[in-house]
Amino acid sequence: MAELSVKHLLGIKYLNEKDIHLIFETADHFKEVINRSIKKVPSLRDITIANIFFENSTRTKLSFELAEKRLSADVINFSAGQSSVKKGETLIDTVNNILSMKVDMVVMRHPNPGAGIFLSKHVNASIVNAGDGAHEHPTQALLDSYSIREKLGDVAGKKVVIVGDILHSRVALSNIFALKLQGAEVKVCGPKTLLPKHIESLGVSVETDLRKALEWCDVANMLRIQNERLDISYFPTTREYTQQFGVNKKMLDSLDKEIVIMHPGPINRGVEITSDVADSKQSIILNQVENGVAVRMAVIYLLASKIK
Amino acid sequence: MNILLKSAKIIDQNSEELHLKTRDILIKKGTIAKIAAKIEPEGKTRVIKHKNLHVSIGWFDSSVAFGEPGYEERETIANGLHTAALSGFTDIVLNPSTHPAPDSSSSIVFLKNAAADQLTSLHPLGTLTVDAEGVDLAELYDMKNAGAVGFFDFKKPMTNPNLLKIALQYVQNFEGLVYSFPMDSRIAGKGIVNEGEVSTKLGLKGIPVLAEELQVARDLFILEYTGGKLHIPTISTAKSVKLIAEAKKKGLDVSCSVAVHNLSFTDDCLEGFDSAYKTLPPLRAKTDAKALIKGLKDGVVDFVASDHSPMNIEEKRVEFDNASYGSIGLESAFGGLNTLLDTETTIGLLTKGRERYGLESPVLKEGEKACLTLFDPEVNYIFEEGHISSTSKNSMYMGSQLKGKVYGTINKGLFVTEEA
Repeated sequence: MAELSVKHLLGIKYLNEKDIHLIFETADHFKEVINRSIKKVPSLRDITIANIFFENSTRTKLSFELAEKRLSADVINFSAGQSSVKKGETLIDTVNNILSMKVDMVVMRHPNPGAGIFLSKHVNASIVNAGDGAHEHPTQALLDSYSIREKLGDVAGKKVVIVGDILHSRVALSNIFALKLQGAEVKVCGPKTLLPKHIESLGVSVETDLRKALEWCDVANMLRIQNERLDISYFPTTREYTQQFGVNKKMLDSLDKEIVIMHPGPINRGVEITSDVADSKQSIILNQVENGVAVRMAVIYLLASKIK
Repeated sequence: MNILLKSAKIIDQNSEELHLKTRDILIKKGTIAKIAAKIEPEGKTRVIKHKNLHVSIGWFDSSVAFGEPGYEERETIANGLHTAALSGFTDIVLNPSTHPAPDSSSSIVFLKNAAADQLTSLHPLGTLTVDAEGVDLAELYDMKNAGAVGFFDFKKPMTNPNLLKIALQYVQNFEGLVYSFPMDSRIAGKGIVNEGEVSTKLGLKGIPVLAEELQVARDLFILEYTGGKLHIPTISTAKSVKLIAEAKKKGLDVSCSVAVHNLSFTDDCLEGFDSAYKTLPPLRAKTDAKALIKGLKDGVVDFVASDHSPMNIEEKRVEFDNASYGSIGLESAFGGLNTLLDTETTIGLLTKGRERYGLESPVLKEGEKACLTLFDPEVNYIFEEGHISSTSKNSMYMGSQLKGKVYGTINKGLFVTEEA
């Protein structure tokens, strides 16, 4: 059986193209499973997974938990709020304590970039990065690419623009790596203050005119303005941001082609996209959510098969 | 005890007569008694014979941090100075990284006393402001009289330009040396590594080169206005070198240093999120390292420093964001530098800088006090934990291939070596 080249999923950076195809083929199978009347397979009955979230999350945590349960894994959840982290325990100690209870895999979200990589060097378990600071959010990028593939047949050769706060976004970074790896063309668009100065070194181009970016692309991935991550004001007001970087229906309709609209969620309706765009037939936002479960099942299944 | 160095090749660009000559050197009661082609040991003499033995005057390091008082778990003064001696340094300038911060003459006296019986001389810096808070000037004159060789709010950027202006004016009548750390803290923001391709790829917050260069430019402007003696410690960017070169051309009394690790490593090392490479100023790009080396050769950068910053494992074995800055550097300073540069240049740099702090430079000559470093510049090895005598083991050089090792040092009638 084909297997992944890695023991952990720490970032898209550490995968190769074959890995991505394998994950997608496996996800195709699980997508069929979760649409059956019995949405569950017994594949991981002997695996225990800990979801460790040092940062708030609703949808990613739910999606992982559901994916794990659909695979029949035993699942435990741990969030920083109720933990000993606040009592001064180190990350390594916290995770090793959990692993002592015979846990095979750790799904971790953490506010610090590289936390998963750091952990993978110090503990003995398979690690899935569910978002580490502004570094990577690999499963989000995988489900985004999977959704593009589902909608447009293939990712290679497609033109994708990522709009919004690229500076603080792990979703943007993982998407850039994933899309480039599969042969897509990538542009980033947003106010200069929210574009990393050296972003072009990653092989993407920069466009600060939203209209031009939309005219160019096949797919627009609209990111949320993460107000909670902004330590200073990168633009004067949300209103002014929307004037320049918000997508509305009128703008979409004026393009001479039908582009695909994506959003990793949660949406700020009326800020980065208007409601009629979010709910339009061009939007695949809810498909992304559904595919998230299938892709996460695939990732966990493939990594678990390396444990055995 | 007398010491006899056998067949030591002398590296001393200040001595036309002895430079690159191989000689026997006899040391009696701490003084160089005789330098000759062949000297026979007489009486109770320790004979030092090594393959490829080289000797120079004792080395000087302008940026060393220990921990005592307050952070003895990082390093104590006694073990820190012993490490410095083993690493070839007979004089070190101690950074004010302790707790409480040394902001009064009594703290300076404490540091001097704690170091009194060690081979390596300790020259403390006092803080520039009370408690290093960057608000009110500390008693600089009093500290200078107690032995402080300069004033530095350790690695804290001076956000208030008027404070620097006043400090540079105030110290002029007693020749005080004012430090200004080259970083604009507002431009640096929450940055922790060099802003560049690597920080972008890793999602780590970047410190733009602009943060350093803006501060350097500002400080030089102020210096031009005030006069006085300014030292800019551990610069890291190509443009800083250029700015300082221009200021020196104008005749401003400014000096600067660079950390050896900013020459050896670049931000590419951060790819694995290894906190050993987390340092301030951050590791920069290849072009910066190159410009810094050129600046050293041209004399724009006045001296190299190990920027020795011991951190215990609890401060380093954590997530990259949460790890403390710094790497120990004493043990790897010679090997690191000698791997990049030829030995004569290396020794020239390691023996430079004392005059900036008003310290006397040792002289390698009969009748002078023996203040010497013994080394082998050719030996190749992989730097590992066994080479570390510091209390903390946070070395960026772990696993690096280095060229050149220290055999020991002689100073104040003492001889320190790893060998029994």
